[in-house]
Amino acid sequence: MSKVESHSLGAKLKGSGPRWALPRLRPALWQGLASFVVAAILWEFLARVVVDNPLFFTSLTDIAIRGVELWKSGELQTHIWVSFIEFAGGYFLAAIFGILGGICMAASKTARGFFDPWVSMLYATPILALGPLFILWMGIGVASKIAVIFLVSVFPILINTLVGLTTTDRILLDVARSLGATPQQIYMKVRMPAALPYIIAGLRLSVARALVGVVVAELFGARAGLGFLILMSAQSFDTAAMFVGVIALAVAGVGSVAALKWVEEKMAPWRFENVDD
Amino acid sequence: MTEAETSSPPKLSIRGLSKSFRKGEQTIEALRDLSVDIRKGEFVGIVGASGCGKTTMLRLIDGLTEPTSGTVLVDGKPLERPGEQLAFVFQQDGLLPWRTVMANTMFGPELQGQNKAQSISTAQRFLRLVGLTQFPRHFPHELSGGMRQRVNLARALTVGADILLMDEPFAALDAQTREIMQAELLRIWTDTRKTVLLVTHQIEEAVFLSDRVLVFTTRPGRLKDEVVIDLPRPRDLSIKRTTAFTRYTDYIWRAIEEEVRRSIDAELEQA
Ligand SMILES: Nc1ncnc2c1ncn2[C@@H]1O[C@H](COP(=O)(O)OP(=O)(O)OP(=O)(O)O)[C@@H](O)[C@H]1O
Ligand SMILES: [Mg+2]
Repeated sequence: MSKVESHSLGAKLKGSGPRWALPRLRPALWQGLASFVVAAILWEFLARVVVDNPLFFTSLTDIAIRGVELWKSGELQTHIWVSFIEFAGGYFLAAIFGILGGICMAASKTARGFFDPWVSMLYATPILALGPLFILWMGIGVASKIAVIFLVSVFPILINTLVGLTTTDRILLDVARSLGATPQQIYMKVRMPAALPYIIAGLRLSVARALVGVVVAELFGARAGLGFLILMSAQSFDTAAMFVGVIALAVAGVGSVAALKWVEEKMAPWRFENVDD
Repeated sequence: MTEAETSSPPKLSIRGLSKSFRKGEQTIEALRDLSVDIRKGEFVGIVGASGCGKTTMLRLIDGLTEPTSGTVLVDGKPLERPGEQLAFVFQQDGLLPWRTVMANTMFGPELQGQNKAQSISTAQRFLRLVGLTQFPRHFPHELSGGMRQRVNLARALTVGADILLMDEPFAALDAQTREIMQAELLRIWTDTRKTVLLVTHQIEEAVFLSDRVLVFTTRPGRLKDEVVIDLPRPRDLSIKRTTAFTRYTDYIWRAIEEEVRRSIDAELEQA
């Protein structure tokens, strides 16, 4: 089974000061903000002075204005809501089946032998390319999107759960056995907690895939959603509206990944200790 | 030594214990036909060249590894399962990183089904015994190596086993901390009257702590020599400067030197 996904667990992040103390902004955050401001100015300059053609490149202010318009008409909320439902449905199912599947495969050698080839194969398959097929089968409504999102995001979760449960530090297992733990106790009190950071890392990896899934699945045929908004705006040369969709997705992606990283760091602080500020 | 043994059955009796590991085609014989009896309350040090089967022996005694042949008897009876009669202090501290010092120390009682209040009071008692009361809410990664090793020891003691198996428990510590921990261990042993088997690479440590030191041959591990340490108790660190003490360490060093040389030669031959 591939361990590649779990390597990104070592992802470096680290907060200084007490973990629960809220925004006394850290240097890294200031730097991040500063780079955003610089980028925004550059963007504005590029749009207004260099390109100066709203079809090819739109200024941030125009995008903001268009965003407000879309919001006021209620259109933007509809797209966000539809995309959210698709994302939440597919991702939720992926989380449940990924974790349960990982647990089953970790528990039984037979299950592992039986499913491993499928998991490896489907994980490597560009499932997004099958999007049109799902739309053919399940229509252009929400169901086909949920199916695609489920399939693109279930495997990182499953694989990480499996790896997390099967690579428990041997010394911890020995300690538990030596203290007289039963196999069930070893599972619940050692293997499971040891696997938890892996599972959360899998959930984090899947968020990005699921969001890409939302957009691409909608591009293949939909009635609403942020991907649909992007497609429609592009086809009607409404570049500002297209950027509104892209930015909404970017915010959703950055936000959910950051939230999961935060949970990860909260639940497994020892993994993030040796990283310098 | 022999006169004390005859009166009551030995606390721990190892009979013809052997272990071979199979690795593909190869079979590695780690331990061969080891027999030794250990009295109740005895402190036994075990020394031998690296890779001679010391850890394997402790694991076999604790039931973590199945022997190829031979038996281990505790109070004349075979061991049912790990946990009740034996406690193991591993070389790596093996603390659960997601549990605080207190929760790690409570782990044994919790596994045995004690309720929370009982577990906490048991854990507190043994944390006090190892002198670590200030940091119950710290996580292992927030502790020094010496503190972690104290928690490791406290956790092993909570099980209430009569026999303590210790595998190089102080090897990872600096010289000063190690000396302090040795003195602490002697104090705890005096207080609790446990039977202790302590594996160490430090001959000095073995002599300082033990009633008897077992010297192993190189792999496959067999008993090469046993040395009764007839030094007065209670001992403190000043005893290490007496001539009687250095006579013991010199003697054991000579016994082991030949074995160590042989193991190094064997390794060079393989390379
Ligand atoms: N699980 C295992 N599988 C295969 N070989 C093993 C296993 N455990 C130990 N061995 C081998 O058995 C021999 C004895 O190992 P053991 O760990 O008992 O040595 P040791 O005396 O504790 O050494 P050290 O002083 O370096 O800790 C070694 O050659 C080791 O390679
Ligand atoms: Mg060893």
